[in-house]
Amino acid sequence: MPAGHGLRSRTRDSFSRPFRKRGYIPLTTYLRTFKVGDHVDVKVNGAIHKGMPHKFYHGRTGRVWNVTKRAVGVEMNKQVGNRIIRKRIHVRIEHVLPSRCTEELRLRKKKNDELKAEAKAKGEVISTKRQPEGPKPGFMVEGATLETVTPIPYDVTNDLKGGY
Amino acid sequence: MAFAKAQKTRAYYKRFQVKYKRRRDGKTDYRARIRLINQDKNKYNTPKYRFVVRFSNKDVVAQIIHSTIAGDHVMAAAYSHELSRYGLEVGHTNYAAAYCTGLLLARRVLKMLELDEEYQGNVEASGEDYTVEPADRRPFRALLDVGLVRTTTGNRVFGALKGALDGGLDIPHSEKRFAGFSKDSKQLDAEVHRKYLYGGHIASYMRSLQEDEPEKYQTHFSQYLKRGLGPDDIEEVYKKVHAAIRADPTAKKSDKPAQTYNPKRLTFDERRQKLIDRLKALNSAADEDDDDE
Repeated sequence: MPAGHGLRSRTRDSFSRPFRKRGYIPLTTYLRTFKVGDHVDVKVNGAIHKGMPHKFYHGRTGRVWNVTKRAVGVEMNKQVGNRIIRKRIHVRIEHVLPSRCTEELRLRKKKNDELKAEAKAKGEVISTKRQPEGPKPGFMVEGATLETVTPIPYDVTNDLKGGY
Repeated sequence: MAFAKAQKTRAYYKRFQVKYKRRRDGKTDYRARIRLINQDKNKYNTPKYRFVVRFSNKDVVAQIIHSTIAGDHVMAAAYSHELSRYGLEVGHTNYAAAYCTGLLLARRVLKMLELDEEYQGNVEASGEDYTVEPADRRPFRALLDVGLVRTTTGNRVFGALKGALDGGLDIPHSEKRFAGFSKDSKQLDAEVHRKYLYGGHIASYMRSLQEDEPEKYQTHFSQYLKRGLGPDDIEEVYKKVHAAIRADPTAKKSDKPAQTYNPKRLTFDERRQKLIDRLKALNSAADEDDDDE
């Protein structure tokens, strides 16, 4: 029999529930709210059969463009042939996690706003740009003794293993 | 399937998946809970209130709860042991007491939200099916949460539900499970239901016991007799309780300090101090020993 390319083909492991985590899913997933514009990760929950995305979207991150009664609409990019299409899918809540990809940006924005407000109050000019890590600073090596290592003169007798 | 040597192997335990804590305790039905808590996503943060009714051996608990990720938040609660404040000293777990508790909770919540003027509810408990009519502000909506109780016709849980409905809450329901609903005629007999709401079923049992088994009557209803309540007085008592509840439903904070069953946990500083004191004591004891030797 040929391989078969159905909807859920090749998903034996990715859609299966983790070890000892089967059965009812924790209620937090149902209590979360999503707003349009939020970034979400799509992660299929094999226990809930409705509203499952196609296996391609498992592990992808996209933006919410629609919120319905029990699902969210997520848009993300997919490469089809020689172009990238922006795809819009609807996924049930259980298969979606809030993404942390923007978390670092949001925290940084908040901190920078605070720094800028402080500097403005003091009248300083600061740059909040991130700088890449530069080369490590120079340092003195402490407690080092110099040991000169020289080769010892060749001695035939040392090399003869056994049989001497 | 018998285990080898009737023992559970280490492998069995390694693979065993425990159920949720509250399921192991047998307290929460998660299938029902998911369906009760799930709020439409396009309603975002609008809370979904549950009208929770639970029975213990001596008490009825009615609460309005809404769930958050941090935990469930109880908006208002009413217990049937509070009913002694309103004039009901015996029979705290019967159908009529459940009705009173539901009524008390409903009035309490409405007063808290300042909706109590608009939604008086059904002042005269007649046993008929009563649904709140929306006035200027929309009525307070909650969903009945029975817990693990078997929902048979005439269950006390529905007594509490009737109390809340008559109190003015908007709870979607059907009259199929109220006491007095007859399966054959598919109709609620309001007379029978009214009898239950005023403890009529208790009164008739009291009467039958008085005639047939007077000694059992003395033992069974001893608390009623101690307060001079006979089968004919019961209805009056409940009527007074309903009126008292409508007059003042506010909760009263108890003056007793909260009862702690576990010893109070020490803070880090307190624990450090305890250690220092113990070391000092040891050192001084050791010094004495040294001096002795």
